[in-house]
Amino acid sequence: MNDRAMWRVVAARDFWVRLRDKGFVISTLITLTVLSIFILIRAYGGGPDSFDLGYVGDRTIAERVDALGDRSGIRITVFALLDDASADAALRDGRVDAVVIGAPDAATLRVLRAVPNPLDQLVQAATIGLRIDRALTEAGASSATVRELKDQHPVDASPILPPDPNRDAKASVAFVAVLLLYGQLFGYGIWVATGVIEEKSSRVVEILLSAIRPRQLMAGKIAGIGTLGLIQLIFISVFAISLASVTGVLEIPADTFGAAALVVGWFVLGFAFYASMFAVAGALVSRMEELQNAIVPINLLVFASFFLSIGAVQDPDSGLAKIASLLPISSALAMPVRIVLGSASAWEIAAALAIVIGSTALLIPLAGRLYAGAVLRTGAKVRLRDAWRAAA
Amino acid sequence: MPPGLELIDLRRRFGEVVALDGVSFEVGEGSLVGFVGPNGAGKTTAMRIVLGVLAADSGEVRWRGRPVDGAARRRFGYIPEERGLYPKMRVLEQLVYLARLHGVSRAVARSRAEGILDTLGVSTRSTDRVETLSLGNQQRVQLAAALVHEPDVLVLDEPFSGLDPVGTDVLVEVLRRESRERGVPIVFSSHQLELVERICDGVVMIVDGRIVARGSIEELRASRTRRLLRVEVDGGSTDWPGTLPGVRVDRAVPGGVILELSDGIDDQRVLDLARTVGEVRHFSRVRPTLAELFREVVAS
Repeated sequence: MNDRAMWRVVAARDFWVRLRDKGFVISTLITLTVLSIFILIRAYGGGPDSFDLGYVGDRTIAERVDALGDRSGIRITVFALLDDASADAALRDGRVDAVVIGAPDAATLRVLRAVPNPLDQLVQAATIGLRIDRALTEAGASSATVRELKDQHPVDASPILPPDPNRDAKASVAFVAVLLLYGQLFGYGIWVATGVIEEKSSRVVEILLSAIRPRQLMAGKIAGIGTLGLIQLIFISVFAISLASVTGVLEIPADTFGAAALVVGWFVLGFAFYASMFAVAGALVSRMEELQNAIVPINLLVFASFFLSIGAVQDPDSGLAKIASLLPISSALAMPVRIVLGSASAWEIAAALAIVIGSTALLIPLAGRLYAGAVLRTGAKVRLRDAWRAAA
Repeated sequence: MPPGLELIDLRRRFGEVVALDGVSFEVGEGSLVGFVGPNGAGKTTAMRIVLGVLAADSGEVRWRGRPVDGAARRRFGYIPEERGLYPKMRVLEQLVYLARLHGVSRAVARSRAEGILDTLGVSTRSTDRVETLSLGNQQRVQLAAALVHEPDVLVLDEPFSGLDPVGTDVLVEVLRRESRERGVPIVFSSHQLELVERICDGVVMIVDGRIVARGSIEELRASRTRRLLRVEVDGGSTDWPGTLPGVRVDRAVPGGVILELSDGIDDQRVLDLARTVGEVRHFSRVRPTLAELFREVVAS
């Protein structure tokens, strides 16, 4: 094997050692558990836009709420209840969110503690509407006028772009994508840093560097750990899509496969960008306890990207989201969000790719030099300037 | 002797401190050289430069007449001053990995690693994590790591420190075999001067970053400026030599004295004089030990 291929030997060790590491198994299980809970809540938790409404006696309000809900995209399930006592029992059991008791002129809305917000508005609007209907009828208004005023949703939205009926589902996918990418970039970046420190603190690095060049060691470590992160991410994505399909959460499996591919692809780009920084942070210190300080600047970048990208899930067309999706520090998190939500244009995607690949290509040689200059120096934290000069 | 490993005028400063001030010596193929000197003299710095883990400010390291490059260095075996192995990696797995980094294929690496562990008497621990081994056994694994790729050159920084007498014997045996049978040039640093004297073909002595003596032990002795005689005379007082010009009593020893002779003084005249004092029971040139030579050189 020639000199240049030695990074592969390093990568293979870093891959297999961590694959068998307890930490890897535990982190995989935690990620799968969190993801499963998220999917199962969406599958069986009902969610905020569906309500169970009971009524006792008069059913006109409940029916009007149901009709209003249909127009506003909120699913209302109506239950008849015998009396106040059974209404209370149903509330306590959680079978219903609220119970309408009485006719429109003297109704009460019985709830356990507080009325869930959109349901309250629907009930109020329905009751006002019913009262107005009756007043108009009593005042002798024509049946046509009454019918026209019964229209509870007289103003229709007129979107410039065709509305996406799967917007909510896509936002959920984008949210999960950001969480996964953030966890993966950060977790595996830390693993690169601790891997470097392990070699430094055990002093085995001196033996390694008597055989291979520092840059090969750094490249191999990043490649090995990154490959493990990639495979874990693919495994997690397949698991999540399977679970979501089985439970019926996913109405758009094709889009989700596309999103999973985006997540995997942007992980590679983001990891390539961040990993060499984590390697340098690890090389600057000699003990695990010092790592927290050394990675503060990188932490800030990753955290900022995470919050910008969560913001992009809410509003992918905002200026901030657009900038975040182009900057190399955050594009790996923010751009997949905007792509999934259909907000990124082709040129923006191309620009983000060019920027992140270009800056990675610039960063890696710099990081390689800093790493080489710092990794053999034990003791106090190495200053960046000293590391730079040492490897001249 | 063919040119084995050559260090040529190596210089290195750390800030204001001159660690190496023109260090040159060679280790011929098949020769076993002890590298001695006080703490901080520059031994470790020189060895790290040979292995390329530290750059020299100037000077050159050559192997078989050519400047050492990455490919040549991968054929070197090294024990660094600060020992280093992956603490959580299993012994055999670790040796296979290190051999592969030195360009050995996986299958060959495995059989060699098993063989070396057997030779060093730690084969029963091959599936244990390194951190669970005793320090002595970790030291043996460290040696195995330096040998597993059957290196062309061995550079060992204090390989004997921390070894018990049995471990020392095993290491001596291994070093002798590597140099005699495989013709490997070996340089190792040590403070155990009796050991160096016993097993080495040559000695290089470094003080304050300069090589102050090099050669075989005999050559070092010959180069010594002081000529000492040990004379034991029955019933004689110890002040009799004082009457002879150019002869000085260095110190008294049980039953006799150590004399220092000036240049040009014939030791047979001293013997003649001694015989006039009493019966001469012992008369010999004092062969200084390496430790004595070392102290003398360091003191001057």
